[in-house]
Amino acid sequence: MEQEIFQLSYLQAIVPELLLLVVGLLLLGVDLVLPEARKRELSVWAAAGFAIVALASPLAYLGEPQFVFGGMIGSEPLNAIFAFIFAMAAFLVALLSRDDERLEPSGVYYALIAFAVIGMDLMVAATDFIMLYLALELTGLSLYLLSAYDRRSRFSVEAGMKYFFYGSVASAVMLYGITFIAGLTGQTLYLGVRYLFASAVMPAWFGMGVLVLILAGVGFKVAMVPLHTWAPDVYEGAPTPVTAFLSVTSKAAGVMALMRLLVWIWGSLPSHAEMTSLIAALAIVTITLGNLFALRQKSFKRLLAYSSITQAGYVLVGVTALSPMGLTAVGFYLAIYAVTNIAAFTVLVLVSNRSGSDWLRDFVGLQQRSPALALALLVALLSLGGVPPFAGFVGKILLFAAALKSGFVWLVGAALANVLISLYYYLNAVRMAYTRAEEPVEPLSIPVASRWVLVIATAGIILGTILAYPLYHLLERAAMVWF
Amino acid sequence: MNVWQFLADFFVNVGAWMGELLSGWGLSPFWVSLIVKVVGGLALAIGPLTAVLFLIWYARKVIGRIQDRMGPTNDGTAAGPFALLQAVADAIKMLTKEFVFPKERDRVVFLIAPVLAVAVAVAVWAVIPFGPQGMQFVDLNIGVFYVVALASLAFFAMLMAGWSSHNKYANLGAFRAVSMIVSYEIPQMLALLVPVMLAGSMGMQGLVRAQEVPFIVMVPVPALIYFLAMTAEVGRLPFEQAEADAEIVAGYFVEYSGMLFGAFYLAEFINNLSASFVFTVLFLGGWRGPWVEQAPVLGLVWISLKAFLVFTLLTFFWGAMPRLRIDHILGFSWKFLTPLALVMLVVVALVDKAVQAAGLTSPWGRAGWLFLANAAVALVTVALLYRAERRQQAAREARRFAIVR
Amino acid sequence: MITVQQVVFALFAVLTLGGAIGVVAARKLFHAALWMVLAFFGVAGLYLLLEAPFFAALQLFIYIGGIAVLTVMAIMVTRGIMKPKEPVFTYAIGAAGTALAFLVMLGLFIFKTPVWDVAAPTGEVDPNGLRALGQALVSPSAYLLPFEVASVLLLAVLVGALFIAREKE
Repeated sequence: MEQEIFQLSYLQAIVPELLLLVVGLLLLGVDLVLPEARKRELSVWAAAGFAIVALASPLAYLGEPQFVFGGMIGSEPLNAIFAFIFAMAAFLVALLSRDDERLEPSGVYYALIAFAVIGMDLMVAATDFIMLYLALELTGLSLYLLSAYDRRSRFSVEAGMKYFFYGSVASAVMLYGITFIAGLTGQTLYLGVRYLFASAVMPAWFGMGVLVLILAGVGFKVAMVPLHTWAPDVYEGAPTPVTAFLSVTSKAAGVMALMRLLVWIWGSLPSHAEMTSLIAALAIVTITLGNLFALRQKSFKRLLAYSSITQAGYVLVGVTALSPMGLTAVGFYLAIYAVTNIAAFTVLVLVSNRSGSDWLRDFVGLQQRSPALALALLVALLSLGGVPPFAGFVGKILLFAAALKSGFVWLVGAALANVLISLYYYLNAVRMAYTRAEEPVEPLSIPVASRWVLVIATAGIILGTILAYPLYHLLERAAMVWF
Repeated sequence: MNVWQFLADFFVNVGAWMGELLSGWGLSPFWVSLIVKVVGGLALAIGPLTAVLFLIWYARKVIGRIQDRMGPTNDGTAAGPFALLQAVADAIKMLTKEFVFPKERDRVVFLIAPVLAVAVAVAVWAVIPFGPQGMQFVDLNIGVFYVVALASLAFFAMLMAGWSSHNKYANLGAFRAVSMIVSYEIPQMLALLVPVMLAGSMGMQGLVRAQEVPFIVMVPVPALIYFLAMTAEVGRLPFEQAEADAEIVAGYFVEYSGMLFGAFYLAEFINNLSASFVFTVLFLGGWRGPWVEQAPVLGLVWISLKAFLVFTLLTFFWGAMPRLRIDHILGFSWKFLTPLALVMLVVVALVDKAVQAAGLTSPWGRAGWLFLANAAVALVTVALLYRAERRQQAAREARRFAIVR
Repeated sequence: MITVQQVVFALFAVLTLGGAIGVVAARKLFHAALWMVLAFFGVAGLYLLLEAPFFAALQLFIYIGGIAVLTVMAIMVTRGIMKPKEPVFTYAIGAAGTALAFLVMLGLFIFKTPVWDVAAPTGEVDPNGLRALGQALVSPSAYLLPFEVASVLLLAVLVGALFIAREKE
């Protein structure tokens, strides 16, 4: 029996998760006592809770990078930063959910968001395969349920079912890969596995085989080709705020988990060149495929779905670098992408509240109906497209620079070509919004909660450029811990 | 070794004697132990099968008396004194009756179901300790858990019977039975954890050894929960949803006839009996009793007597209880038994730890504190139930007067 | 010389594999579920052979008592399932081919892996193994955090499933 070590600081390292659990349980409880007419107030409760979690998330870093709970998770600055990003995304989505007229959020809805955030925090922090798997499942199951939340809509139920079926198969394949590691090395701690891999006890092709199996689970979360097939239908069918949430957070958590696996374990393999080539190939296929499909979409929600597949591909370009610079760029881009995508989805929610659908043509005349909304859409889409001076541009530059520095010239070239293609559909949507409608239009007012979401998100997009240097510096220092 | 010594530990000595005999014939130790085990197993399996013949008679007699009838009698028949041979006659009748098969049945599954039911019922007996040493087929260190796990296979016998009969009553019966048993498995498991926690062992033998004070005295509330859940598990009234002959004829085995029906009937009685034995082991001190140290064979007597008492209680339920409605039954499990069992688990864990920390090592001292804690929880529960009932009554009356007005 | 252990292993292996083949080959969904139970049972036997009775019982309890029962109940409430019908699956050959290819790949992967530790554990099985397992699950220097995360996961699923399955008002 090993020595039991417990320090109070362990609890401090999981403060965001503990708070999220409390928030989730409180919301479930409040839901029971709140009368039906006041259910919408829950979103304020939830947003306040998530804001507190976001403010408390720096506590998760104990000042020194270290393992807690027997090496199950690490306490690192990067984990605290991502706990903050996830809590902020949850905060924005909670506010946004209040204004989606097609959604009737209850305590269960917000509690599931809180539980999903717990899972994502731990996915980023996990330094053990068992922990990683459980965190992945917690995230996954909460999101499946959220996707199917709107039970009146057949599409929502379909989205939940598809997400669930694909997701359970993907995580089963991943678990199968983990069993190989556990069976062969007798351990599940990342560092222990890394040691055995690095000491060349394991042949390289074994590492590659297991990696492919594990990629199934993590790649599913990232919606990386060929595991992207669920994404468009789920993104389209799920309630729009849920889509906004899962398209940014679960993707970010997946990328970070993947990056940690690659940097910590597979990067130590004597010959990891094939592995990075594999990721690079997957990245470019993901970008191109997402782009090609996005080009032909008539539904804005579906367009954003394919665009988010493309964006995941860009992030993977940064992952291939496997360097501190790559990690920094990935972290930066994921943060920027979170606010940008939420801004775009907020505009979609407000427009489809009136039109009742997600068609791109509903955006015609948006500038006349609400100039502010059209401007927010412009900012968000240009940032997604990587147009200066918005933060998406900075993020892409960083990603590509990191890949270039690691020698992936062809990859960056192909990615740049794709950026140009993607501009077509982003600008097309902007053009729609700024086209004058032929019939007279009624003005569109922005409810107060969404107004805050838009203000915060666009501020993030612009501040991402202005404060690029300090942000980059912060992330770089956090990223150095891994190397 | 004189006769008395031989008899004092009869079963172990017989086993040893058989082993020596076989070794004398020149068999290798492996085969010797295998043959002894097989013979012991067969003897053990015959136990419940014969006991059931008596128990059927006994149950019919008891229920007859409760319902102001005679039960089986020997008036004008050759059923022997007190109609003791009635069950034997029934068995012979059953064995010789024609099988009637539904045309649309699922052939193989239809036949496997009764076999599985009986096999599972008998398999429980492998871990029941009938005495201090040796008088147990196998002392698994997870004995209790083995019993619970076997119950899962018992579900399958029901589901298979229900489905393969191609009959809506059979299907309904299987559904009801399974949904009920699945619900009651939860409080049962939670209540079961209490003795396991107190004994620090999941093995049946370890549980008995830990009961210097029977656990029913230490923790009466979990014992009650377990008893109720167990009653549901074996499908005895008031939880008799599987058969409910007034509603769904006979539930999942409505289409079975002859000895195939007999198999289910048998399995049901064996399940009743083995549940009684398991309850005895968990809460009534198993084979513990006077003079067991001197004559281990007495353990069999004590445990059988205790189990027989529990069985009698089950039979009283059978004779005297009405059948509850399925939603009431499920609600009772989920809204009452499960939370109470959870609370008990926490309370017992805390109190037991506190008692140990306070240095009370005598078994009766520990039992006293645990009993007090149980009594406190019971009081609070009753008070809460009383308040809830009062409130509901008030609401009902308010509704009634509202209509009048 | 074939030992008894090998015979028993072969028996359970046949049960498991036969059950698994039965699952995919069965025409009726209900039969497929029953074959699945057989396969689960075989796995439980294998655990028993590995002197892990606790896991054998868990296998019975969770897989047969939980998962299989749920599957069968779901099949039984599916409308029209009792009627005989056409084979549901029309891509049998393609699926079998894919599965076979996957099997060969995995087989190669497993057999070419050189470092399986095949030496049988020496000595008696640790009688306190169960205790150690229980303590590891709640020890903060071992698996406390995953254990608690698993409970959050179950809570999320329970609440969410109740919400999804609740009757529409």
